[in-house]
Amino acid sequence: MADPIIKVIIAKPGLDGHDRGAKVVARALVEAGMEVVYLGLRQTPEAIVHAAVEEDVDVIGLSILSGAHMTHFRKVKELMDKEGLGDRLLTGGGIIPTKDQAKLAEAGIGRLFGPGDDLQTIIDYIRDWHRSHPR
Amino acid sequence: MKSKIEFWDDFFKGSRLACARLITKVENAPALVPEIRDRIIPCLRGAVRIGITGPPGVGKSTVTASLAGLAVKAGRKIGIIAVDPSSPFTGGAFLGDRVRMQNLIGNPNVFIRSQASREGHGGLSPTTPYVADILDAFGFERILIETVGVGQAELDVLGCADLVVLVLQPGTGDVIQALKAGIIEVADLILVNKADMPGLESLLDALKFLFDMNARPKAKPIPPILTASALNDQGIDELQAELEKLIEGQASSGFLKQKKLARLEGEIKAAIQNEIWEKFRAAAGPEADIAEAAKRLDDDGRSPYDYIRDLGRRVSLKFTTENPHGEHRP
Amino acid sequence: MANTDPKKTWEPKFGRSELRDADFTSISGRPLRPLYTADDLAGLDGDDVLGFPGEYPYTRGVHPSMYRGKLWTMRQFSGMGTAEQTNARYKFLLEKGQTGLSVAFDNPTLYGRDSDHALSVGEVGKTGVAVDTLADMERLFDGIPLGRVSTSMTINAPAAWIFAMFLANAEKQGAPFAGLRGTLQNDILKEYIAQKEWIFPPLPHLRLITDLMAFCAGHVPQWNTISVSGYHIREAGSTAAQELAFTLADGFEYVERAVAAGMDVDDFAPRLSFFFNAHMDFFEEIAKMRAARRIWARRLKDKYKAKSPRSWLCRFHVQTAGCSLTAQQPELNIVRTALEALSGVLGGCQSLHTNSMDEALALPSEKAVEIALRTQQIIAHESGVPHVIDPLGGSYYVEKLTAELEEEAERIFHKIDELGGVVPAIEQGFFQREITRAAYEYQMALFRKRKVIVGVNDFRNAEETLEIPILEIDESVERDQVRALHEVKARRDNGAVRRSLAALTKAAATPENLMPRLLDCARVYATLGETSDALTVAFGEYMEKPIF
Repeated sequence: MADPIIKVIIAKPGLDGHDRGAKVVARALVEAGMEVVYLGLRQTPEAIVHAAVEEDVDVIGLSILSGAHMTHFRKVKELMDKEGLGDRLLTGGGIIPTKDQAKLAEAGIGRLFGPGDDLQTIIDYIRDWHRSHPR
Repeated sequence: MKSKIEFWDDFFKGSRLACARLITKVENAPALVPEIRDRIIPCLRGAVRIGITGPPGVGKSTVTASLAGLAVKAGRKIGIIAVDPSSPFTGGAFLGDRVRMQNLIGNPNVFIRSQASREGHGGLSPTTPYVADILDAFGFERILIETVGVGQAELDVLGCADLVVLVLQPGTGDVIQALKAGIIEVADLILVNKADMPGLESLLDALKFLFDMNARPKAKPIPPILTASALNDQGIDELQAELEKLIEGQASSGFLKQKKLARLEGEIKAAIQNEIWEKFRAAAGPEADIAEAAKRLDDDGRSPYDYIRDLGRRVSLKFTTENPHGEHRP
Repeated sequence: MANTDPKKTWEPKFGRSELRDADFTSISGRPLRPLYTADDLAGLDGDDVLGFPGEYPYTRGVHPSMYRGKLWTMRQFSGMGTAEQTNARYKFLLEKGQTGLSVAFDNPTLYGRDSDHALSVGEVGKTGVAVDTLADMERLFDGIPLGRVSTSMTINAPAAWIFAMFLANAEKQGAPFAGLRGTLQNDILKEYIAQKEWIFPPLPHLRLITDLMAFCAGHVPQWNTISVSGYHIREAGSTAAQELAFTLADGFEYVERAVAAGMDVDDFAPRLSFFFNAHMDFFEEIAKMRAARRIWARRLKDKYKAKSPRSWLCRFHVQTAGCSLTAQQPELNIVRTALEALSGVLGGCQSLHTNSMDEALALPSEKAVEIALRTQQIIAHESGVPHVIDPLGGSYYVEKLTAELEEEAERIFHKIDELGGVVPAIEQGFFQREITRAAYEYQMALFRKRKVIVGVNDFRNAEETLEIPILEIDESVERDQVRALHEVKARRDNGAVRRSLAALTKAAATPENLMPRLLDCARVYATLGETSDALTVAFGEYMEKPIF
């Protein structure tokens, strides 16, 4: 049987309105054959995880350019663990300093992408993760 | 038989995640469908399934969200299935209906599931009816099913829903499209959304003219035509009231029961067809590689019926020239 | 005659030449010819098209003397943390001789939310200063005479009530409104188009803008009421022509709204200014800025019948493209920014912000900000570029490109008209769809390496280690700000707040100018979020359909 289709949520927590990255990535993932639930702007961590539960997604991708990444990624991860989604991938992108990426990786958050990371890298990362984490 | 699904207990205890995971199983693991149906069907509670269909851009998600909002206020539990099209090229899908349903997110009496249409061509996913049943068994009392907005042939929703709401908007010539697709004939209710846009009167006139011309089967009553502006929450109360009236009427006339039986009948037939096909293929052996055979026949410029009859003989089924298509639709 | 046309000699030679395997289009995908000649200038160098600096149609600049008279203003946008921290930074800058302040607000403020709102968690003071009440405004400008500095505020959706707080503070300082100078961005249309920081649907927001314009025309005459912004449209992924056309279309919309509200075009048009992006395609950017001046002047004069030449001027601020900065080898961003800044100067900008090299990684550090400012000073004082007005004027290529951008913009204006105007086009997702498509096409061109970003999709440095200092914001800012907000709420006259807010909600349902009501709310320390909520009762919220 073919690999099951990968289901991803793309959301923007917090208040910044820069959705260019989120949209370009969402579209690229769709073109790579994934099913992408787009939540859009200004989502609370609670709403994101609530949706992730109902949609039973494999991957949650957050886009954050406001500098609030430490707060949002940690909060979403905490809620994921609480709601039984600890085995799903939390990844994302934005302007996230390497030092913060390292801290977030320690908290169990996956790779984070920045401006200039190409789309194929993101697609490959999600596919590889999915292949190595069968559910 | 041992269960292949380890979270039934959680499902019946009301775990939303278990409900979501069960839906994923019917979507991704066809082999598990019989087990899931075995457990779900006895637990159906008789939720009413309301299909919401119409051309792209008429505001189906907004109508769905407003209806759900009202129903929740009235103390009902609402399941929503929002279907978006899968790309025929990549298999991927963009599921964006939740953006219009922000107000419902986090409400414990609402469950929203986005579905990609995958192999479904009639505006729904082939598994949408099963998903509706899962939500029914989980305790949702109304299931709103929002179809793909392809503008035509969203007829799957008929088989799946007890009631069909057709959403149109003024000024776009949608009536003609909807008429061509045969959807006007089957709508139980027509909602003209974005009623503040120009062209409302002419759309209403066109609809009136259509029904005056008797453009539908005699037995079916002319559907109520309502107007709304869902984005501004106008006209949704009336829509809700009208729907409840229709549901009431259909329940007492036995129509809901009829619909349910038709669905069951359809499922039995489809499952048998599927089963027979699998058996047939197994019995026919490697010869039944249709793709290979088609290529060969095409290369030789030959009609397929010798091949079909030959295959049929192997598994002692008879394909005659009187019924060359056998059980399979073209 | 024996002499053949030299172009005829060159053409076949070029045709036989072996060319590099490269994509010879502009960054916006515009096809470019290998050579532009005198033929391309036909009809483009007359006085009615090119003209002279400070003369209609202003293609060559808005002032007769341009940078010989006065250099562009080097205006670096800043603000972060608490009002006190920003105030200290302002005082430092003023001591160094800066005469204008530029306020960056944090995300909750930009979105009209208080610091204790659920969505504000983690965002307070992050990308700018947090302003919840008049008390924050008082601390922000403590010891700074508002009557004597010019203040630029980058604020849009809640611009009217932030401005009301600013005015209330000026009142407390004893500074008369008539003497206040400064700029509000106040450009809501580009929010729907690109930046997505709105509160209400477009029409109520536009009404607040015309209220503010009318109020300023009467009471704060030196205030620049709108900075019509293409910057964010470009950052969202548009092409150069889209940035040009969408921005000017927004400008026309404001003009039409104000005229419809009963104002005389010459009373407010001189107070409109613009804000463009300077991206990496050097000549296309210069052409874009020159085209902007010409289009604006022609429309204002011919279509909107403005009589004062001051109404015809497209004065603009330029910021180098944030989206062109890379996280890889961030030092290279200094070079990118220098090229972009140079295009802004050659394009004739009135003020310029240069980005810092580390902005793809974090908020800029002091060192990076200094280098960015020094970049402008090198252009101004070392390069010799500002000595000559519009040095590229008459260039075959630049004039042709300027005309092409103008034509493309006119085609886009026509399309917007067909859709029923800017607001219907927003509601139908026209701009959003066009931008998203352009952004995706560019991303694909990078992916296929038809476009190159050095150090990113080509010429990578595999062993790169990051060696630039990164600024971090103290997490205690949020706690302090929320505490300050709660203290103000406990201290103020809550009855007066309730009455002012109720009066505002009521007035919002009538056509009266809301600025005096907003001032009343600000004076009694109603919060930013409370004021947003009071208006939301009357105006409703706006939700965008996602466009891909």
